[in-house]
Amino acid sequence: MADWHSHYQNEDEEDQEEAEENEADSKNAGRDSLIFLIDASEAMFEVNSEDLSAFDMTIQCVRSVYTSKIISSHRDLLAVVFFGTEKHKNSVDFKHVYVLHDLDTPGAKRVLELDQFQGEKGYKTFKENLGHSTDGSLGEALWTCSNLFSDVRLKMSHKRIMLFSNDDDPHAKDSSKARTARTKASDLRETGIILDLMHLRKPGGFDISLFYRDIVSVAEDEDTAVQVEESARLDDLLRKVRAKDHKKRALARLNLKLGEGLEVSVGVYNLIRSATRPSAVRLYRETNEPVKSKTRWFNGETGSLLLPSDTKKAQVYGHRQIVLEKDETEELKRFDHPGLVLIGFKPLFLLKKHHYIRSSQFIYPEESVISGSTTLFSALLTKCLERKVYAVCRYTPRRNTPPRFVALLPQEEQLDDQNVQTIPPGFHLIYLPYADDIRKVNCTGRAVANQDQIEKMKSVVQKLRFIYRPESFENPVIQRHFRNLEALALDLKEPEPMEDLTFLESPTSGSIFSTSTLEHCSCGIFSGEGCMHCV
Amino acid sequence: MARAWKSATVLCWDVGHTMSNSPLGEETPFDQAKKVVLMFVQRQVFAESKDETALVLFGTDGTSNPLAKSDQYQKITVQRNLKIPDFDLLEDVQSGIKASNHQADFLDALVVCMDLLQKQTLGKKYEKLHIAVFTDLNSPFSSDQLDVIIDNMKKAGISLQFFMPFPLDATSTRNGADAAERPLNIAPGKGLTAQQREGVTMVRRVMLSLDEEGGLDEVFTFRESVERLSIFKKIEKKPMAWPSQLTIGSRISINIVGYKAMTEEKAKKSWMSVDAKTLRKEDVRREMVYCLNDDNETEVTKEETIQGFRYGSDIIPFSQVDQEQMKYKTDGKCFSVLGFTKSAQILRHYYVGRQVLKVFAAKDDEYAAVALSALIHSLEELDMVAIVRYVYDRRSNPQVGVALPVIKEKYECLAYIQLPFMEDLRHFTFTSLKNNKKGAASEEQLSAVDALIDSMNLVVDDEEEMEDLFKVNKVPNPHFQRLFQCLQYKAFQPDEPLPPIDPHLKTMLDRPQEMAASCQASLEQLKKVFTLQDSGKKKEQKIAQQIFKDNDAEELDAKRAQFDEVFNIVTLAEGNVTAVGSLDPVKDFRILVHQKNFNFREGSD
Repeated sequence: MADWHSHYQNEDEEDQEEAEENEADSKNAGRDSLIFLIDASEAMFEVNSEDLSAFDMTIQCVRSVYTSKIISSHRDLLAVVFFGTEKHKNSVDFKHVYVLHDLDTPGAKRVLELDQFQGEKGYKTFKENLGHSTDGSLGEALWTCSNLFSDVRLKMSHKRIMLFSNDDDPHAKDSSKARTARTKASDLRETGIILDLMHLRKPGGFDISLFYRDIVSVAEDEDTAVQVEESARLDDLLRKVRAKDHKKRALARLNLKLGEGLEVSVGVYNLIRSATRPSAVRLYRETNEPVKSKTRWFNGETGSLLLPSDTKKAQVYGHRQIVLEKDETEELKRFDHPGLVLIGFKPLFLLKKHHYIRSSQFIYPEESVISGSTTLFSALLTKCLERKVYAVCRYTPRRNTPPRFVALLPQEEQLDDQNVQTIPPGFHLIYLPYADDIRKVNCTGRAVANQDQIEKMKSVVQKLRFIYRPESFENPVIQRHFRNLEALALDLKEPEPMEDLTFLESPTSGSIFSTSTLEHCSCGIFSGEGCMHCV
Repeated sequence: MARAWKSATVLCWDVGHTMSNSPLGEETPFDQAKKVVLMFVQRQVFAESKDETALVLFGTDGTSNPLAKSDQYQKITVQRNLKIPDFDLLEDVQSGIKASNHQADFLDALVVCMDLLQKQTLGKKYEKLHIAVFTDLNSPFSSDQLDVIIDNMKKAGISLQFFMPFPLDATSTRNGADAAERPLNIAPGKGLTAQQREGVTMVRRVMLSLDEEGGLDEVFTFRESVERLSIFKKIEKKPMAWPSQLTIGSRISINIVGYKAMTEEKAKKSWMSVDAKTLRKEDVRREMVYCLNDDNETEVTKEETIQGFRYGSDIIPFSQVDQEQMKYKTDGKCFSVLGFTKSAQILRHYYVGRQVLKVFAAKDDEYAAVALSALIHSLEELDMVAIVRYVYDRRSNPQVGVALPVIKEKYECLAYIQLPFMEDLRHFTFTSLKNNKKGAASEEQLSAVDALIDSMNLVVDDEEEMEDLFKVNKVPNPHFQRLFQCLQYKAFQPDEPLPPIDPHLKTMLDRPQEMAASCQASLEQLKKVFTLQDSGKKKEQKIAQQIFKDNDAEELDAKRAQFDEVFNIVTLAEGNVTAVGSLDPVKDFRILVHQKNFNFREGSD
């Protein structure tokens, strides 16, 4: 791990610290669980113009969720259930319901099992092994899902079923099956299981009102005013699935204090947090089982174990050792109770783009702690957006943490063309640097380019224009790491090849621009002696 | 590398009798000056700065300096020669130095300081020579040597700062009216003595002849220097240069140099454990052991273990050697442009990482300077930014980030900040606030918020100039000040509890006083038109789990589930089960039985 620690040591230690905090949070909260319930009737396998069936799209999407969970939240539980199959496999022997994976953490083997259903060959495999039937009952499929949830012995925090289908009226001819499905759906709802419909493109359009309106859940905190459109493309489907797949979990619930006796409560979230390569686990050589590590403190002379109360904390300056009680080292970091304290407002243009010290957080009102918070919060948001101002606050994220100043940057809700929310409404919490965080940099002498030179550079810039999207870059270090593991886990000869999108020269990433565009514009950009770098 | 750069500072402190005068109830100029000097020395001692500091007092009862002759340079004492500040100096400033009954010429004192700097820095390398004068300017002086002083200061490259109880412009006619109106706690100009007015004129003259443009910016009031760190920023380390090439494709390559310009500064030292009785760290040993996950927690040696990684539910043995061989490798330093995009596409909250890198053209490289300048200006004019692949060196991980053009009066550069990878994004969906039943605010409520924003405006805009009443980037990190205060206190009073937080530290972190009063009305109005009710639900439930935190929460999870299945089901479903459904009637029934307040008649309907 030498590479990791050399230059970013401080940063890493902190990341560790933060990761732990986050980890602790999710451990206490229990596991998220998600069942993919997939319609396996023949219509799902019909190939569309792009040579992709609805079933293919679904499997690719599920696979992508599997692999991303392995990377980002390997403790979550996932399951895959087909319905409308000829064969069946489930604990109560319902016909036409096939549990491919019961609820468990995703692993390499399961990813491989999904792979065998991909593409044309996959369809053949499916037909031979599982087959199709039109006699299935959605109600029984939902029942099976509910059994899967109750078979899990771990604490679960969030239970969700995603139903993939391109049939908008599955039991059109059988009202009793339709009724069972409705009843089951309502039972699920009452036990806190959320049922989402991922409806796929169907010739003539997918009409939710025919059947599914009464089936799918309307979670209290989710927007129903917006009618999400059916997904015709994998990208759309993926985005829709991803938007639902993260259970949003507040890092903290705090009060935003506007003045004495005037507080609203908010939840603090991380919309972005740097994923790092996970740390290693120690295994017992003989059995490959994980070992635990224990740290013991003992007296160097007597060898007796030390209790926390047997030690104090110290720092040495010069030759002088200064000793504090352990509590005191915490106490000296205490200024405020956790929370946000409003200082005042400033116009948006004063928020400097290049003032930055750590990634931002996000706040959204939390009605459950102080009722009425949403109204005041939303009025504040509306007015900050309208008047183009941000709020300056003093922020104490946790107990015994010194305050930092933050800018509450108003964020308007944004939807994509499919009406899926891309950016939620609320305030971004932008950390502002203290004087100590700003280093004085000696700038080198300035030579300013003339307008002619600037114009030439502009043409280079214009040629290399693209639309930036944060989703477009994968982290090559993490991807490589997991591909290596995957190869070892599945006994592949070599890891799956990887596109490194952070490379301009990479032949596969030439989608944005090719190096050849540069050839004519670089030559002679700075005429005369300036252009020594162009051949 | 960075070690060679240190600075030499002379603190030139007026301890004459006028420094003890103050209007009733107010802190004397002597005490105010002491606070600034103490904070300065504290920072140096506890930040373990290699910078050297000397202390020259003037207006002392006695005389002790190398220039003193029978009638010259009297009542000036070199209290401490140029060296690294230590606890002796701290203690001396804290309790040794007292105001005297005499006074001395501050220009004479300045000469003693210059002489000291010249002699004591001889043969050593310093990045910066600096004199900071703390005085109320209330003692007579003679300006005979003024030209010589200024000339020598310039030649030796000595910078100068003044710290005074009142602002420099308190006397000037131009700003006279402004000063009176200023709501800050600054003594009005009228309170100045004739001697002080004369002194102020002299300070202006000195500062302006040293630096025509920025000279007057180096004169501070005691108050603002305590709160705004002005003195401390003058003597900071030179950041390390990162020379590299900015490349655009394979054809354009510009020699650049990058500096870490902004990063969250941490306390330099961490705490170590010492034995509570002996206070020796040698008596506290730490040992880490590995043990199997069995009932006996059988210990195994490190040699009996190997390294593995999680791949979802699988743990894959993966030795360090294999890992090293198979891991992603970079070719080393890199700052290559992947493309350009509209600056509006880079949302502020995308920023990740822990620093801002400022990128300049390499020194003395004419081509680089022109090319980089062309790039910076074309980005600025097109309102675009560069997306860059950045690698610090061979051993570090690649990043994708944004390079923004920054054009200032004195310099221009690119500011580089890291952007997220796909893996870093979390797609959380929140209820829209627009069509929200709970959220809709009335016109009256909206206008109350409007009034609040008006009354809490931190920026005063009087057509000509904008004044920011709360510049966060001028506020020193209060954590350091508090840490140093406690360290110093404990160094001299090890058995006492920690001292209270300095009131000035709290003031510094609060809403500006003048605004705190003026926004009261609008806050009251808000209280009237919004109904906010604390549901008392703010739970402290996590505490127990924190106390009994197990190394393996997973195990805990499973245990809990086994031990108390019924209970677990109850917690899972509580509040949701109100009737026996068809899904799992037995379970529903059991849950209902556990809900003591449940009415059976309703449930069986």
